Amino acid sequence: MQEDFKTRLKIAKSKIKKQFDNDAEKRGSFMGTAFKLGTELVAAVAVGTIIGFILDSWFDTKPWLIIIFFFLGAAAGMLNVIKAANKMQKEK
Amino acid sequence: MASNPMHQFTVNRIGPEIKIEGIDLSFTNASLFMVISASTILLFLFLGSKEKKIIPDKMQFIVEMFYSFVAKMISDTAGSKAKPYFPFIFSLFMFVLFCNMIGMLPYSFTVTSHIIVTLIMALFIFIAVTIIGFIKHGFKYLRIFVPSGVPTVLLPLITVIEIISYLSRPVSLSVRLFANMMAGHTMLKVFGGFVVSLGVLGGWLPLSFSVALTGLEILVAFLQAYVFAILTCIYLNDALNLHH
Repeated sequence: MQEDFKTRLKIAKSKIKKQFDNDAEKRGSFMGTAFKLGTELVAAVAVGTIIGFILDSWFDTKPWLIIIFFFLGAAAGMLNVIKAANKMQKEK
Repeated sequence: MASNPMHQFTVNRIGPEIKIEGIDLSFTNASLFMVISASTILLFLFLGSKEKKIIPDKMQFIVEMFYSFVAKMISDTAGSKAKPYFPFIFSLFMFVLFCNMIGMLPYSFTVTSHIIVTLIMALFIFIAVTIIGFIKHGFKYLRIFVPSGVPTVLLPLITVIEIISYLSRPVSLSVRLFANMMAGHTMLKVFGGFVVSLGVLGGWLPLSFSVALTGLEILVAFLQAYVFAILTCIYLNDALNLHH
C-alpha cells in the first residue's frame, strides 16, 4: 500500500512539473505581448496630438483641433489596446 | 565621464569627416557596431550552413533553430501568403537581435538605443506594408479604416480614430525598442556607478542588483527583437489578408 501511494505521488508531481514547464515556455511570449500594450496606448495619444498641432497651424484654429485630436488619439490608443488584447485571447 | 549614465550613448566620429552637400556622412561608432552586427550574423550563418549535414552539429543546429523559429513565427501570425517576405523578416529579426546582444557586451555600443535607427526601420516597415496593401488590394485597402457593423452616424468619427491608430504603428514600434534598450542600459550604468561610489563596504547590494539586471536585460534584448519581428508579421498579415 505504501509503495502504491509513493508511485502515485511521483506521477502526480511529475505532472505538475510538466505543466509548470509548459507555462514557462508560454510565459516568454506572454511577456512579449505584455510589453506591447503600454507603448501602444501612449503612441496613439502622441500621434493624435501631433496631428492636431499640425492641423492647428494650417487652419489657424489654435487651440481647438489639438484638444479634439488629443481625445481622438486617446480613443485610438484604447482601440489599439483592445485589438491587441483580442488577438492575445484568440491565441490562447 | 564614468559617472554620467548617458555618456554611453554618445555618437563619436571614427576616421575622417565626410560631408556631402552639408550632410554629415562620417563613419561613427554607431555605424561601426552596425557593421560588426551585420558581419557577425553573416559569419554565424555561414559557419552554421557550411557543412550541410543530415544530423546537424551544434553550430548548424543553432542556425536551423533560428531559421525554423522565424519561419514558424511568420506562418503562425501571417499565414502562408507571407512566405515571400521571409528573408526580410529574418534579416530584420537577426539584425535587431544581434544589435541588442552585442550592445550587452562591456565597452560596446547599442545601436538600437537610438531612436533614429529604430524609427527608420519602423518607417520602412510601415511604408512597405502600406504599399504592399495597396498593390494587393488596390483602393479596397482603404477599407481597413472602415470597420464593419458601425452605425452610419459614428462612421466619420471611427474612421478618424482608425486612421490615427494606423499612423501610430511606426511610432509605437520604434519607441518600444528604443525606450527598452535605452532605459535598460541607463539603469545598468546607474547601478554600476553605485557600486563604485559605495565601495567595498556597501557596494555588494548594487552589485548583486546589476548581476540580476544583466540577466533581465538579456531577456529584454531577445524579447524586443521578437516583438519587433512579430509586429512586422502582424502588420503584414493585415495588409495581405483583408478581413473587413
